[in-house]
Amino acid sequence: MKHLPKHLRPRWRYVAVGIETWPDAELGRRAFQRALWYAAGNLLGDAGSADADLTLLSFSHGDGIGEAVVKVRHGHVAEARAAIACVSEVDGESVGIHVRGISGTVRACEERYMGRAGANSTQRDVAFRDAERPAVVREDACDVRTESGYVGAAAFDIE
Amino acid sequence: MYEAVHAHPDGDATVARHAATAARCGYDGIVVRTRDALAPAGEAGEPSDEAAGLRDEYGVDVVDAVEVDADDPTSASGAVGNYRSERTVVCLVGGDDGLNRFAVEEPRVDVLARPTEGSGDFNHVLAKAARDNGVHVEFDLGPVLRATGGKRVRALADLRKLREIVTYYDAPHVVSANPRSHLGLRAPRELVAVGEAVGFDAEWVREGLRAWGEIAERNRERRSEGFIEPGVRLGRHEEDG
Repeated sequence: MKHLPKHLRPRWRYVAVGIETWPDAELGRRAFQRALWYAAGNLLGDAGSADADLTLLSFSHGDGIGEAVVKVRHGHVAEARAAIACVSEVDGESVGIHVRGISGTVRACEERYMGRAGANSTQRDVAFRDAERPAVVREDACDVRTESGYVGAAAFDIE
Repeated sequence: MYEAVHAHPDGDATVARHAATAARCGYDGIVVRTRDALAPAGEAGEPSDEAAGLRDEYGVDVVDAVEVDADDPTSASGAVGNYRSERTVVCLVGGDDGLNRFAVEEPRVDVLARPTEGSGDFNHVLAKAARDNGVHVEFDLGPVLRATGGKRVRALADLRKLREIVTYYDAPHVVSANPRSHLGLRAPRELVAVGEAVGFDAEWVREGLRAWGEIAERNRERRSEGFIEPGVRLGRHEEDG
């Protein structure tokens, strides 16, 4: 279809989102998109959700860390931010999420906020709470495996 | 702005991990609700070595607190008496009418946590008592962020009722997402956006997040050596010759 004249095209904002999970979580793009839309639908209703749009433009995740660019309609960024904050689980995996920033173009968004994660994680045993335990260490973060699942620790705890 | 977190062993992340995540989210400090997670502050209110170390490492203030979760007002009273002299911030978990009543009538309690969870209810009598005794009523955004379906609807309805009562009587309040791990932590701007989406005033939510810091600061001041009573401090005095 012939594209719209410029003044009728919707204006967008691109929201850079940082994602954090436990190291063994597998997060798919489709699952994350579904979680995002469900969160928006549940919090804002169908009408508000349609206004905010919240289409996922890019997504990457691995080793407990990820990032995404979300397209939001200009003027609905506050609602979108609320909906994004309400994503607490994707496919049953807990997700920590925070908005890194908002840009007017995809390119600016990627240049300014994306590609920060040098996700170089290593597996090693660490001393945590008087015991040697296997852990996944990524920069300052350190997810220690215990009997009852992972415990999030930091370099400060294992020194 | 401050967030009040549940740390390991009560939650799934240590105090340090919470502090690191909170620093990245833009918080000025965290209040650790779990008693076993952090050593108490010293006699004069100065932070423990661990809290001071975390402050140097991540640049966020780490406040030692306790969450008293008692079955009835009698045992709650004992626990509050024990922990008041030891901890900077004392929260009491509400969630039943007797405990809510006890918390708002006890000036030694700083925060009435999660008053409408479970069978607990809140009314104008409690709001007036909370205002007179300076007990902050907590608005728990946790269920808004993490629950779904009917549970979330009930939580939202309770929050609205609580908000109407508390704002009418101008009782002090705090806002928190009650994170149980670093994954549950949300940045202040996100919490404000969620608050706005469910009918709160943005500035009011920010005030609630700042209130944690104000409570901590006031209590540290009270425990410091120079403090005699509100408005009276031991100053520097001239040595008489």
